[in-house]
Amino acid sequence: MLSEMGKETKNIFFLGKGGVGKSTSSALTALHLAEKGKKVYLVSLDPAHNQSDIFEKKFSGKPVKIHKNLSISEVEIAFWVKKYLSDIQFQIKRSYSYLTAFNLENYLDIIKYSPGIEEYAMLLAYKNIQEKAKDEDYIIFDMPPTALTLKFLTLPHLSLLWLDNLLNLRNKIIEKRKIITKVKLGKKEIETDKIRNKLFQQIEEYKKLKIIFEDSDKTQLNLVMNTDKLSFSESALIVNHLAEFNISIKNIILNKYQKDFNTQEIEKRYPDCGLQLIPNSEKPLLGITALTDFLHVLKSFIEL
Amino acid sequence: MEKESLSKKFLDLLKQGWESYKNTMGETAVETLEFELGEMENIFGLLVLGSFIGFPSPPMQITLDLLPEMEKHFVLMLNKVDTAQSPLSDLLSTFDVI
Repeated sequence: MLSEMGKETKNIFFLGKGGVGKSTSSALTALHLAEKGKKVYLVSLDPAHNQSDIFEKKFSGKPVKIHKNLSISEVEIAFWVKKYLSDIQFQIKRSYSYLTAFNLENYLDIIKYSPGIEEYAMLLAYKNIQEKAKDEDYIIFDMPPTALTLKFLTLPHLSLLWLDNLLNLRNKIIEKRKIITKVKLGKKEIETDKIRNKLFQQIEEYKKLKIIFEDSDKTQLNLVMNTDKLSFSESALIVNHLAEFNISIKNIILNKYQKDFNTQEIEKRYPDCGLQLIPNSEKPLLGITALTDFLHVLKSFIEL
Repeated sequence: MEKESLSKKFLDLLKQGWESYKNTMGETAVETLEFELGEMENIFGLLVLGSFIGFPSPPMQITLDLLPEMEKHFVLMLNKVDTAQSPLSDLLSTFDVI
């Protein structure tokens, strides 16, 4: 399923500190590519959902066409959390005894607030979008602020660390069980261990996602920042953290740029990244007309 | 003739003795392996489902995805928590003393 995804469709993520202009930058990029004739799908994964305000139109989980080449949707993370937990609950009811399943129901009701569920729900939404948007040239993701985005991007890697160790232990258990049945019954019984199969399935899924996130041909990360010191230091933290997981930033988007600002420090610090300057707009960038007009003011746009 | 049957009897006796020794040893070995297997399953249960009893646990989705297949581990772990406060009675019931 995932092996086919992203073959031709390119994922572009916009990440950065809260309030630096990720939504505006992603909206401008989406419109820029759509104007160039590319088929673009802009998805907001940020629970704050600014795209509705930027395009002055109400969006939901279903894509809405606002330009002949551009569709937009805003993913409801709560919907994916609910869907995931009800799927698990259904499986538990099917395989558990009535009493145990009954006792677990309360637990599953409160687990939606558990740490880690939000980024996994984002990952489920992401996989769903990938499958549905195979015909698009670009899928642009407007991401939540730093913490959640970093957790989302590193989730496959961290989950694999756990899963590899759990699979090791499971294999040892299965081997031991085989020895016991051989001694007792005189022959080795080949059995399927459902837990091991599930572990394998999970490992396969996460490996595919990890490869996609690390592949710069399929995934492009654009880091949005402003010229202030706080934004600078948080951006450095993002770059360093992702580098530990073999994920690199392709472009730096310097939003609300003022002409007297010296960009040399950024170029020196991030020599491998492209740099896109987005100057302060005189008018508020709200509505498709204002955005298109602003795009014409921009002299150039980085290669995406 | 008598000498031959005597040695045969002796050999049979030796064989029987060896067989019963082998069986006893085999059973003990299997019992040890089964105990070890049980403990490994307990560890696996604790690793995956630890969050239910306040242990550090893997990312929640790993636990949740495996949970439908782990009822046995789940019930066992909760039972173990119940008897954790009285290890002596747990030990006695293991040896079937009371």
